[in-house]
Amino acid sequence: MRDLLRHPTGLVGATLLAIVLSAVLFGPMLAPYDPQQFHPAMRLRGPSQAHWLGTDQFGRDILSRILHGARSTILFGLGATFAGVAAGTLIGVAAGVAGRWIDSVIMRLLDGLLAVPDLLFTLLIVTVLGGGTGHAMLAVAVAFTPGMARIARAAVLSVRTREFVQAAQARGESPIYVIGAEVLPNTMGPVIVEATIRVSFAIMLGATLGFLGLGAQPPSTEWGLMIAEARQFMFRNPWCVAAPGIAIALAALGFNLFGDALRDILDPRGRQR
Amino acid sequence: MSVATTSSVLAVRGYSLAYRTGEGDVKALSNIDLSIARGRTLGLVGESGSGKSSIAWSILRYLPANAREGGGEILLSGEDLRAKTRQQIADIRGRRIGIVFQDPSTSLNPTLMLGRQLAEVLTRHRGLTEKQAFAEGEALLARTGITRPAEMMRRYPHQASGGEKQRVVIATAFACNPECIIFDEPTTALDIVTARQIQDLFVRLQEDTGVAALYISHDLALVSRIAHDVAVIHRGEIVESGPAAAIFGAPREDYTRMLIAAVPRPDLRLVDPTPPAGAPELLGIKSMTVRYGERSLLSRLLGRAQEQVIGARDIDISVRKGEILGIVGESGSGKSTIARAIAGLNDFTGTLTLEGRAFSERGALDRSYRRAAQIIFQNPDASLNPRQRVRDILSRPLKLYGIAKGRAEIDRRVGELIAQVLLPPEFARRYPHQLSGGEKQRVAIARAFAAEPRLVLCDEITSSLDVSVQASIARLLVDLQARTGATCLFITHDLNLVRQLAHTIAVMYRGELVDLFPVGAANAPDRHPYTRTLLDAVPVAVGGVA
Repeated sequence: MRDLLRHPTGLVGATLLAIVLSAVLFGPMLAPYDPQQFHPAMRLRGPSQAHWLGTDQFGRDILSRILHGARSTILFGLGATFAGVAAGTLIGVAAGVAGRWIDSVIMRLLDGLLAVPDLLFTLLIVTVLGGGTGHAMLAVAVAFTPGMARIARAAVLSVRTREFVQAAQARGESPIYVIGAEVLPNTMGPVIVEATIRVSFAIMLGATLGFLGLGAQPPSTEWGLMIAEARQFMFRNPWCVAAPGIAIALAALGFNLFGDALRDILDPRGRQR
Repeated sequence: MSVATTSSVLAVRGYSLAYRTGEGDVKALSNIDLSIARGRTLGLVGESGSGKSSIAWSILRYLPANAREGGGEILLSGEDLRAKTRQQIADIRGRRIGIVFQDPSTSLNPTLMLGRQLAEVLTRHRGLTEKQAFAEGEALLARTGITRPAEMMRRYPHQASGGEKQRVVIATAFACNPECIIFDEPTTALDIVTARQIQDLFVRLQEDTGVAALYISHDLALVSRIAHDVAVIHRGEIVESGPAAAIFGAPREDYTRMLIAAVPRPDLRLVDPTPPAGAPELLGIKSMTVRYGERSLLSRLLGRAQEQVIGARDIDISVRKGEILGIVGESGSGKSTIARAIAGLNDFTGTLTLEGRAFSERGALDRSYRRAAQIIFQNPDASLNPRQRVRDILSRPLKLYGIAKGRAEIDRRVGELIAQVLLPPEFARRYPHQLSGGEKQRVAIARAFAAEPRLVLCDEITSSLDVSVQASIARLLVDLQARTGATCLFITHDLNLVRQLAHTIAVMYRGELVDLFPVGAANAPDRHPYTRTLLDAVPVAVGGVA
């Protein structure tokens, strides 16, 4: 924690994350209005004293909708990433440790999957399974798995041949100890950094699916869906698109900066004395 | 001052340099004075981090952006290089000052023919046409002892050996008859025999051309052989300088004396040269062969033949209890391969016997075997887990082999181990990156001895350390070996060192054991020719001071 205070960009990331996470936890309580309440008389107003970020095409308060939407948007990103990272790391470490033909088979399969762009991959899965938040999350997680597996495997391979791992093998340590105590702790750096950066991708992918109508469904306040619903009106009140867009960008930036700082702090070599 | 500057080709006077870092300026060089006259070689000797390479970069005017120069001047035949413009410096480099770096495989461009790289200097600085430059290049290569210069000109770096590449680099440095050439550890990356040939070439060319040479090295024995004058640098300051004979014969400064004393000398034994008499055999190796390489899935599916490299072939060795066996050879000779096979890290065929128990494959090596045979690696930076504290690193073998049980007992034993390798007790809480190279190697040694082994395999454990640290690590190992009665396989390329501490010496060459003899018989007439070549290639030990 003290290390984080000394890391300027990490501090910015942590602050952004704190804001985003407090919206996730307390957003519905802080919201000044009911996010679903229509006010036909107040449609598409710009920011004002009463509505800080203005209103959308149904006269709903944008700030309230964003505060409510934080939960579904961020939890989607975290959940999808966590599942994808867990699956990818497991496969990658298994491939890296097993080596020989198991490694070849797993990696050639994953290479094939990697050739498909993330968005196309998620769209494919959602098309097959059908839309909705749960399926969209699963789709993003599956799309992340090959990339994470590759990173985890590369980290394992670079560590596996290091002499301290060989020293453990020469001592006659069990494979589980070698992997758990010697290899994994030294591979977690790149995995954690990649994971935090991927949270931002997941948020954006989720928003994209919402935007395309394949993720969260109306009247959800998911940020991507908000942009999709309001896009026809963006020339009459830019705020109805800009506000959720900026919210997505700031959340993504927060995770990114925090991820970088985390890597620096987690590595004992980076610490002073 | 003007009198001195005119007589010397290269002179550095009162020069200081610092590097700007996040934590303020770090002093790299302070008040450096050097001067080299025509036809002389100045050996600049120092340990890693002493600033010897910074001097080379300063002279070449090739400093990083965060370098901050203090006072002083750098004079080439009386002209101050610090006052020159970028363009003037570019004209001076290669034409009036040459440079030969440590590693020829990185100092040559891999995408250009060797001849092209040599000819470029000639067309750029001597205004020769392409055709003239290639003809001249051949003549220059011939002068460096390359037998078929025309063919070598057309080769790419990967088609030439390390020694050949370094000859090309040297030919390039001498190409424009420069006034001064800087040699920055030019033979450190080469194997022993090639290094000796390159050193002889240097001496011959230097005498022929009368060039003023600055020869930077950490190897005192080498510098004593080839330099006329010597300057000893320590922490950015010249500690002592003068004629080589005076420095090595009667050093005035403690630091110089310490450096000279640290150089391994075969005549100064660290242990009694006679192995423990009548001791039983501890380790026996019968017709051991180690193969490398496995077929990939793709090549197996395509039915391609197995591409295997033999790392060591048909090795027979027997080591008695308490004996130190030195294994020497060039890189790639198979000496580490053997150690790794004995440590259970390489598959092998043949038989391995330890304390009467025979094993014929790697899978059969059990935990009690592995406890008895411990390995210490060359590079202490890589052999300790960066995420574990010294305490955790040392307690692992204790827990694994059940040597100590319970937190208190383990902590006590860890404390003893740390004290045994002469480190302060508070190091238990440190991470490896908070230790120096020598300290890390002590921790690695302590980890090996924590298992109370019968056999310790030392794989080049001193090679990545500075001279003075090397000596203390070698002494520590010999001391622990004597105290514990462990048998030791000491693998090294340093013949002087192995002659100091081994009872028996095994010589490996291209995967085969070519010679095996008691250390006293190193100069016996029936030595294998390759052993002779190795012994002759090693620079003679320096000075009369111990």
